[in-house]
Amino acid sequence: MKRLWQIREFSTLMILVLEVAFFTWYLWPSGGGHPFLNVGNALLILKYSSIYGIAAIGAAIVIITGGIDLAPGAVIGLTSVVTGYFFVQAEWSLTASAFMGLMVGLSAGLISSWLIVGVRLPPFIATLGVMGIWRGAGYIITEARFYDLSAKLPRNWTVFGISIDWVPPIVMVTLAGIFQVLMKRFQWGRAVFAVGGNETAALFSGLRVGMVKTTAYVAAGVLASISGVVLAIVQGQGKADLANGYELDIIASAVVGGASLTGGRGSVAGAVLGALIFGVLRNALPQIPGATFYDRVIVGLAVIVIVVMDQVLVRRG
Amino acid sequence: MFRDVAKAFGAVQALRGVSFAVAAGEAHACVGENGAGKSTLLKILAGSIRPDRGDVSWEGERMHFASPREALERGIGMVHQEMLAFPNLSVTANIFAGREITRGWGRLNEQAMRARTQELLTRLHVPVTPDTPMDRVSTACAQLVQVARALAFECRVLVLDEPTTSLTDAEVDHLFGVVTGLRAQGVTILFVSHRLPEVYRLCDRITVLRDGQFAGTFDRATTPSDDIVRAMVGREPPKRVARRRPSGATGDSPAVAPALRVENLTRRPAFEGISFHVAPGEIVGMFGLVGSGRTEILETLFGLAAPDAGQVAIDGQPVQVRSARDAGKAGLALVPEDRQRQGLFFNLSLRHNLVLPLAAKQDVRVIDDAREEAAAELQVKSLAIRTPHLRVTPDALSGGNQQKVVAGKWLATEPRVLLLDEPTKGVDVGAKFEIHNLIRGQADTGMACLLVSSDLPEVLSLADRILVMREGRLRGELRGGDATEEAVMRLATHDVEAATQDGGTA
Repeated sequence: MKRLWQIREFSTLMILVLEVAFFTWYLWPSGGGHPFLNVGNALLILKYSSIYGIAAIGAAIVIITGGIDLAPGAVIGLTSVVTGYFFVQAEWSLTASAFMGLMVGLSAGLISSWLIVGVRLPPFIATLGVMGIWRGAGYIITEARFYDLSAKLPRNWTVFGISIDWVPPIVMVTLAGIFQVLMKRFQWGRAVFAVGGNETAALFSGLRVGMVKTTAYVAAGVLASISGVVLAIVQGQGKADLANGYELDIIASAVVGGASLTGGRGSVAGAVLGALIFGVLRNALPQIPGATFYDRVIVGLAVIVIVVMDQVLVRRG
Repeated sequence: MFRDVAKAFGAVQALRGVSFAVAAGEAHACVGENGAGKSTLLKILAGSIRPDRGDVSWEGERMHFASPREALERGIGMVHQEMLAFPNLSVTANIFAGREITRGWGRLNEQAMRARTQELLTRLHVPVTPDTPMDRVSTACAQLVQVARALAFECRVLVLDEPTTSLTDAEVDHLFGVVTGLRAQGVTILFVSHRLPEVYRLCDRITVLRDGQFAGTFDRATTPSDDIVRAMVGREPPKRVARRRPSGATGDSPAVAPALRVENLTRRPAFEGISFHVAPGEIVGMFGLVGSGRTEILETLFGLAAPDAGQVAIDGQPVQVRSARDAGKAGLALVPEDRQRQGLFFNLSLRHNLVLPLAAKQDVRVIDDAREEAAAELQVKSLAIRTPHLRVTPDALSGGNQQKVVAGKWLATEPRVLLLDEPTKGVDVGAKFEIHNLIRGQADTGMACLLVSSDLPEVLSLADRILVMREGRLRGELRGGDATEEAVMRLATHDVEAATQDGGTA
């Protein structure tokens, strides 16, 4: 048991379990079906959490290198616009449109890392700039209109025999698995932790620090774009102001999942669990009578409480 | 003044109950080897750390400072070897930092502060204006600005911590003139240094620390400097230990290609026209004072900075080293000066620390636990790193063992040439001995070692040949019986005439 508590992701998982248990108890109905604990609602939570969770994988990687990425919200928004443009306006296939959407994140990652590694801007400033430009580009393309994908998407759409609703969570879990292995079992992941832990020592040890940072920001950009494609399909829209402010929720998910803003610590799996913790909160709070206007406050409090709890747990361990 | 002061940092006992007295109005020196506990003592005096036990008193008053500010207010003024200042602010702002003259409600009284600064600068003959930004002030003047700051706070005790390390002769003369003048005005001087001639020039009495313990207080007039040296090292002044010479290879014989050959390496303004070689199995020492360019040479060899000119060859093959990665692949290894900042990853386990350069050198992609475990275990065994297991992070180890980890992570790559920058800085005497043996052992297996150190006894006892640097140039090469402390210091300082007499090959 003690060994189990030393695994960082375990405590995040326990918080998620406690949270679900709490809302199950609190929202227990006097009669009829449970409004929170049912398959349909679980799927809803998973579907919307995936949008945060996929991007949070990238946020965790960037934070572990000792950096920060403020662009994912803007990347998600612009990706939905670009995908929508090619799918609706240019009448490309969905696959080709989604591929063009991924270019949005790829370019954001390349530009951010060039500004950080090449121009030596602080990551906060570089990605703040990229965030503004990418968000603005969406408005220029759409001119305040939006692309309606839903009309062109098939009804009762299935992929390999499973409902499209299940696709976002499956994508999230698959990507989390891939990156968890990359971070733990590959030299690349080791280098990400080393650069974040001590950049000077990494340089002195013969690691390619610039390359490690570049791949981290590119991965974060592409992952945010995958979120963007998922959101465009789930919402059926390509719209410039989609995912406004998501960057903070995405960073919060990574931090709640164990990523340290000073670098060198964190986990991809933890970031996904963090996104689920917030997904459950956002789903359950509106169901509590009178809590409607308090949900942002409670989400903010949750960030602080969970991170403090974690510090206490770590000190004890 | 000091009574039974003790302080430990983790496993390292820096001070083990030191007591000595400084008389009011005297100039007192505190000397000792690196790691003897001088800087810890000073930090306690300055209030930046607290002793585990013991206390400091002055004129009968107990002084237990909770903060550096309190020490300053009680009349202890510090002049540090490194410039602890705000480079972005003016000289005036630096002098009054934290205790500005105000008109009430925190409004600054700029005129009053500027006037007071001008007065102090004139008194100390410092050629800067009160409005000069601190980053335009030379090192020597910055030291004097620190003295001015101490005076602005009306200090009773002025503590000088290795103040002459990066000063020229004329600057040292000026500083000493100022200090002597202050002493005449009744300020007590505590002078910390490892340069005995300066100590003899400035101070009345000399206290020696060794391995965190008090080793005696001596009177200048009646004690020859050899006795002080003996007290510092705790034995006879160190003798060169005979080491098995690599067979026919001190680089003179053309039969063996040197493991490392450097031709005309230049990186202005740090150093210029550096040429030397290191044979397989040879330990070459490189000695020079701070600022002589020795660390910069190692950094350039290791690809961390680009040279302006020059060639480097390893085993006779010219190499282009543009990054530490290239250096590792070419067969170079660097044990850097600052192990905390440049050597260790405190978020990674010992095992991961020990295999990083190896993995980088071999372009490993997928981590192989068994191989890593074996490689790390090998270094722990061969270097006798004392650790419970390989999963701990480096902060659980003592300084000496941390240093062995830094050496081990590079030895795991089986380099041809081992570059060592101050390998025993800040480690205790036992670990120092082990690290020396480690270096000798590596040389015996045929590795070429280039040892940069400001610890002269260390260089003398370890190196087969000694290259001496001053002001960015090689000033001479000494070997065998020629390599005495005096001969090396003469080359490293300014005595050019004497250096050529001694057969310097600059």
